[in-house]
Amino acid sequence: MRAAYARLWVRIKGGNREPEWLIAELIIPVITLSAYVFLYKMVQAPPEYAGFVIIGGTLMAFWSNVLWNMSAQFYWEKEVGNLEAYLVAPISRMAILLGMALGGFVNTTLRAIAVFVGGILIFQVPMALYEPFTALVIFLLTIAALYALGMMFASLFMLYGREAWHTANLLQEPIQFLSGTYYPTTSRVIPFTVQLLSSLIPLTFGLDGIRRVAILGEGITEVWPNIVALAIFTLILFPLAKLALNFMENLGKKEGRLTLRWQ
Amino acid sequence: MAIGTILRAIKQAMWLGWKVETNWADPLVFAIYYLVRPVAGLLIVGFIFLVGSVVTGTFDSVLFTFLFIGNSFFIYVMQVMMTMTMLIHEDRSHYEVLKHIYLAPGSLSWYIVGRALNGVMNASVSLLLTLGMGVAIFQFGLGINIPVNWLAANWGVLALGLLLGIICFMGMGFILCGINIMTSKVQFMLTDYVSGILYLFGGVVFLPSLLPLWGQYVSNALPVTYFLNVIRFSFLPEAGFDVQLNLLYLAVTMIATVLIGMLVFKAAMYKARRDGLIDKKEEY
Repeated sequence: MRAAYARLWVRIKGGNREPEWLIAELIIPVITLSAYVFLYKMVQAPPEYAGFVIIGGTLMAFWSNVLWNMSAQFYWEKEVGNLEAYLVAPISRMAILLGMALGGFVNTTLRAIAVFVGGILIFQVPMALYEPFTALVIFLLTIAALYALGMMFASLFMLYGREAWHTANLLQEPIQFLSGTYYPTTSRVIPFTVQLLSSLIPLTFGLDGIRRVAILGEGITEVWPNIVALAIFTLILFPLAKLALNFMENLGKKEGRLTLRWQ
Repeated sequence: MAIGTILRAIKQAMWLGWKVETNWADPLVFAIYYLVRPVAGLLIVGFIFLVGSVVTGTFDSVLFTFLFIGNSFFIYVMQVMMTMTMLIHEDRSHYEVLKHIYLAPGSLSWYIVGRALNGVMNASVSLLLTLGMGVAIFQFGLGINIPVNWLAANWGVLALGLLLGIICFMGMGFILCGINIMTSKVQFMLTDYVSGILYLFGGVVFLPSLLPLWGQYVSNALPVTYFLNVIRFSFLPEAGFDVQLNLLYLAVTMIATVLIGMLVFKAAMYKARRDGLIDKKEEY
């Protein structure tokens, strides 16, 4: 826990040290979301769809944080020469990642709240949130599943160089497309194969659940399958992440790639 | 500087850029990478349009084609911005070669042009793959009517629009290079800021007339708006754009952007040399 706290402190301090980054993390998502909201306006979709976009963009902040500030972090650490220090220290890799995850969660939550509130106010989105506790449970389970997935990806980043960097890039738009970040994947225009693939991503269940509770006014009786699915994802992904980290670390040691820079 | 030296610098920079961007993977993986991201981006906006249209029970194929072409050709903006924003950071801080390039006989500016042209080349490959996949998925897979005969485009207008647009985006890229050489750690957010603002105000996926009045003024000042209008006209003449006026505005904004880009970059290089920023080290 001391290791996790130490990494959490660095993450929170580092994440808020540079005001220009803070401003960018608040403004840039709103710019992108605005384009999609205007696209819905162009086809005269109801205002709830603007809400779908804003919730999607808010959760996407967490996915980006998982990708770049947790999964890819081992790549950065390797490039700056810190990874070997982590590996020789008497601490668990999971503790480091837990610290990163908690620190990243605190930082991203502050930004996500600002993006969410700003988006709702700017685009006058009608909310119908009758069960905030249900929304909170879905949100926390989604975050837990996403960070567990991030820990699993971190094992790849520990071993690989630019491939991992490009993989992180690759996991942005395709995940947004498959998880229905800006539209409900349950719409009848979404092909069945896409819906099938989207059900393999925890973000899909989180987005769907939160939208239904926060915007469509549904409750636990309608969204309990989302909660169950997210709990299953979390329970499967955490042990898998630990296995993957151990495997990749051993492989990296055998192949001498853990301290290899500028790959 | 002799023409031969300039051309050699551009050629070598293109070759280097190609190697840096591609040699991390075998060609098949690289091709998939260059296909998946832009196609996914196109699918996102395409499905937003379709989901919204299903709810309202209307479908306007011309508007769909408007966003299809806009989003596909925006690849040039993204790619040139990304390449030119990242290269100063990569060459100076990551690979620590900027000082050597600066000292080499070919000018740093022509080296940057070469790297940007490599970005243009990559964007062209991505564009062709994206258009092909987009038509295959939306038109043949989902039965969406895209009223374009791709082979009967107005090639002259298309080529002129692309030429002016690419020169203009490279001018913007020089502004970003100038900012990057004077600063550190802003390269990622610069790409996102610039491409985000151009995406929102440039009429990429929706009509700029939907923006508030001040947003329409911003849109009218951006070359990307005219670039996309010209490109759209070349494929879809019935879209109703005045192509001559758009070409004129594109040329004027291109000249202004290139001039500003050259001034900013020159001033930044002067400051960088004076303050010792050319070999500045960062976290690597």
